Amino acid sequence: MLSFILRRIFQSVLVLLVVGLVAFAMFRFVGDPIDTMLGQERTLEDIDRLREQLGLNKPFFIQYWDFLVRAVQGDLGISYRQGRPVAEIIAERLPATLELALVSGALALFFGIVLGIFTAIRRDGITANLVMSISLIGVSLPTFLIGVLLIYGFGVGIDIRIPFTDMTFNTGGMPTFGRGDTGEIFGWTTGFATWDGIQSIILPAITLGLYQMTLIMRLVRAEMLEVLRADYIRFARARGLGDRAINFRHALKNTMVPVITVTGLQLGSIIAFAIITETVFQWPGVGLLFINAIQFVDIPVMAAYLMLISVMFVAINLIVDLLYVFIDPRLRVS
Amino acid sequence: MNRLMTASLLALATALPAQAETFRWAATTDPQTMDPHAVSSAPVLGFLNNVYEGLVRRGRDMSIEGALAESWEPLPDGAGWRFNLREGVTFHGGEAFTAEDVLFSYQRASSEDSDVASWFSPVSDVVLVDDFTVDILTSSPQPIFPDSIANWMMMDSGWAAENGAERPARDAENYATRNVNGTGAFMLQSRQPDLETVLVPFDGWWGEVEHNVTEAVFTPIQNSATAVAALLAGDIDLIDPVPVQDAARVNDADGVYVLDGIEARVIMLGFAHDHETLLNGDPNIFADVRVRQAVSHAVNVPAILQAIMGGVAEEASQLVSPAMRGYSEALSERPAYDPDLARSLIAEAGAEGANFTLSCPNDRYLNDEAVCQAIVAMLAQVGLNATLDAMPVSNYWPQLREDNFDMYLLGWSPGTFDAEHPIRFLVHTNGERLGTWNFGGYSNPRIDELLPLIQSEIDDSARQAMLDEAAQIIQDDAVYNTMYVQPLLWGVRDGIELTQRPDNFFILRWVTVGAEN
Amino acid sequence: MTDTPDDIPAVSEARAQSRLARAWDSDVGYAFRHSPVAMISAIVTLTLILAAVFAPLIAPHDPFNPATLNLLNGLTAPGVPSAFTGETFLLGTDDQGRDVFSTILYGMRVSLFVGFAAVTFALVLGVTLGLIAAYVGGWTETIIMRIADIQLTFPSILVAMLIFGIAKGITPIEYRDQVAIAVLILAIGLSDWVQFARVVRGATLVEKNKEYVQAARLIGRSPFVIMARHILPNVLSPVLVIATISLALAIIAEATLSFLGVGAPPTEPSLGTLIRIGQTFLFSGNWWILVFPAATLLVLALSVNLLGDWLRDALNPRLR
Repeated sequence: MLSFILRRIFQSVLVLLVVGLVAFAMFRFVGDPIDTMLGQERTLEDIDRLREQLGLNKPFFIQYWDFLVRAVQGDLGISYRQGRPVAEIIAERLPATLELALVSGALALFFGIVLGIFTAIRRDGITANLVMSISLIGVSLPTFLIGVLLIYGFGVGIDIRIPFTDMTFNTGGMPTFGRGDTGEIFGWTTGFATWDGIQSIILPAITLGLYQMTLIMRLVRAEMLEVLRADYIRFARARGLGDRAINFRHALKNTMVPVITVTGLQLGSIIAFAIITETVFQWPGVGLLFINAIQFVDIPVMAAYLMLISVMFVAINLIVDLLYVFIDPRLRVS
Repeated sequence: MNRLMTASLLALATALPAQAETFRWAATTDPQTMDPHAVSSAPVLGFLNNVYEGLVRRGRDMSIEGALAESWEPLPDGAGWRFNLREGVTFHGGEAFTAEDVLFSYQRASSEDSDVASWFSPVSDVVLVDDFTVDILTSSPQPIFPDSIANWMMMDSGWAAENGAERPARDAENYATRNVNGTGAFMLQSRQPDLETVLVPFDGWWGEVEHNVTEAVFTPIQNSATAVAALLAGDIDLIDPVPVQDAARVNDADGVYVLDGIEARVIMLGFAHDHETLLNGDPNIFADVRVRQAVSHAVNVPAILQAIMGGVAEEASQLVSPAMRGYSEALSERPAYDPDLARSLIAEAGAEGANFTLSCPNDRYLNDEAVCQAIVAMLAQVGLNATLDAMPVSNYWPQLREDNFDMYLLGWSPGTFDAEHPIRFLVHTNGERLGTWNFGGYSNPRIDELLPLIQSEIDDSARQAMLDEAAQIIQDDAVYNTMYVQPLLWGVRDGIELTQRPDNFFILRWVTVGAEN
Repeated sequence: MTDTPDDIPAVSEARAQSRLARAWDSDVGYAFRHSPVAMISAIVTLTLILAAVFAPLIAPHDPFNPATLNLLNGLTAPGVPSAFTGETFLLGTDDQGRDVFSTILYGMRVSLFVGFAAVTFALVLGVTLGLIAAYVGGWTETIIMRIADIQLTFPSILVAMLIFGIAKGITPIEYRDQVAIAVLILAIGLSDWVQFARVVRGATLVEKNKEYVQAARLIGRSPFVIMARHILPNVLSPVLVIATISLALAIIAEATLSFLGVGAPPTEPSLGTLIRIGQTFLFSGNWWILVFPAATLLVLALSVNLLGDWLRDALNPRLR
């Protein structure tokens, strides 16, 4: 057991090193930070001096090594664009992304499960089939377009005339960008402290969660259909248990394990697609920070972001693996 | 647009006291630092002009006027300039502004870590005559020196020393990166980099207050569609820029209007003058002046302006726009669009069907990628097969510096608002300090000879004659194919009055917020 | 190759026919004939694919040939004559004066090509690795499946951005247009192979212990033949389902990547590039530049998805 954990941790560290190496290799092709750091009246001397100052003239592997050595000590370097420690910047921006990811994850989970159960129980119903088909729109349009359309429809708004009157109703009014007013709750800067902040998260969370919702809904439906055919459910039915009891107490409970596992693994794609949602909504999270960093060739920020993401995913993977071991005793033998 | 219901809902939700005039504006980039000497970029200098001030400043019509200097005059024999400082000026922190601060700001801005040091390359010394008189000595006569230091901002020496910010910070931050102590009309109240920067009026400002803003909030918004949405929804009072294609619609929408003007930036095509071959190994057709001239005739600039620039830009016949000092009146016409002439020039040069790459940034200038695409089509119609390689600007400049191009798109906005500026950077033979943006390697001894003469000529008409000569050479040689002056488009909420300058600086002290109608 | 009846055209044709007929009569065929959704989405998908393949014959203009474009036709509304040239366009033109209808047909070609190629790439890679992992086992299996796990959790668009960034950096400037599409295929395919590998491995682990495989092993068939000839056909139906859904995903992924600036070049746009350009015209009143390409993408992805959905249910014996 212990050796299994150690082996997995060793593998995880290896993964991190490789990700870092790949990321560093990429930076050489993203562009040159010098041009974005100096004004148009710079001389060639200025260029050389700054390159030296930033250590960009060192060989690639030495730059990578320097980065690793400092990262291990908790020093992620200093942002080229803002001149501030990267760790500080990321700490500032992470709450926004986590909040967005959590809210959209929760929305996706709630509606995904509810609609999944509904479509499974009413497998042949017209409404259920309609829900199934419509839900596919969520995975048939690119995220950025859904975001832009939501802003257009509910931020700017479209005038709809109320029938038989001269009054029009505007569908807009939702905040079009940003996090709104934030407040602090127990030292955590959050949008939930104000009504404006809560309003602001709705459209981005829908944009981000739509895809996951469709996924979860289909998963729940498929699992439910399988479980509902299982012998013990037939037995329960034969015993005269009511539909409600069967559907919820027995069937649902057994579909939850795979649903939760998949959702956990999907956290990765939520954080990744947050890059796009944050860009469209000017949501001040780490995804937007990353996009800004790419534009500015802010290498320390890019490196830190990619490492952060990798650490997160490796950790999720590790936890899922370990949970499996605890749940499934057969794996413990090896 | 009838926004009856939402308007009333909004009014209930945000019932503000009448006199608090919060003004919110947005632009694509966040000023990356609050240090006036650390980064010489338009977003930084433009923003900091609201909180810091220089000896001189530019007025609504771009003319130079006194700011912290009340008056100035040239020293005898072109030895430099004398500035008589304004008395009774205080910094936001209460410190008095004196000649000592000018000397300190000179040392700071001309230091190795400064990004604006090039403004002071002709300066040999700064001499304090008394507490309110400063002589800036130059190594040669500098007729336009006061014009070139309009963005040289004054910092308090004591404040900088106290907080360890005596030098600008380039690869790390110091106190001045996020804190401000200027003499300007506005003070920095709070700053969250990339998110929100809040300014409030400075009660002790020496000037006459023309604005009625009590709080100004700046937010960067990168995605232009999001910015337009924010403006239309009433979340923002001003956005810069409005995408060209949206301008007409935004102007028609209720409650907002578009303020348009002409920027100082000229958009042009550059060529590989001194390359042996093209990137594909073929002979370099752009070494032949006829091919370069053919490109000028092949590009239908009026059509580009009509279709891609929304009809708001102006044709450019030379490296600077008519609003700049030293503009050459004699050359006010761009080579006409004439595809037949272009075809025959290309035939003469034997360049029919040549294949080459047009390099283009896709995130630097207004609709840059679309303009390049249109140019590819226009060149195809006269028999030149250009392939478009569009890339983000972070890749673009390194490619140009490494000579990785055949033909490229460039925009140039002269920092001094003078015709000498582009000659110095774009046309002079490529070297350490001069011709640093002359990527194509054009070299003409006469231009190299003219530049120092232009720089030190005090007599205006003699200077203009030399600038005219240089402009003529540049056009005859088709060194660059200048196409148009980029438009400025701001989206503004109704009831807000402000002034737009060709340098695209947003000056808060000219803003008045009126009632929304 | 030895002479088999398949090589004789008439025979193979007859076989193909009978195979089609057999498919039509099978359980799956029966389900297909009785599902209007499946029929409609199959017809729509097929129509769109044919329209893309025969785009040069259908499209009134060639939007990829810059010499034929007239900037003065730019931003012409659908069905309305251009103010400058008097030409009329069925679905209007974009800012470059490109006919939107033709551009959609050609763009769909690029999108479908990228989609099919990426899925094929992912399928070949995933199926091969999945088979090997399950059949060989041991260290090989551990390594392959660890990579798969990591790949699965690592955000696919980040993987694609990484690959795109590196490939663009190492390609000489004059070839970049040509490699852009190849790199897109590689990037999307590489982020997509894991699902195939996992499913195939799972199925192979079950199949490998069945009697017919053990029999084949006993008569001395090589592992390669066993994998390709005996196991593979039996794990194909889940692979088919994943491939269909992956096709839709790949087309959408291409669109997403082009929003991030790593897509097809603007002079030879895909549907995704068209939508990225079109969304900047949303507030300008030139709605047709966004709406028609977006609607095409939606219909295409939706019908492929519906088809995949139906296929999943139809091929799952437990749900029948």
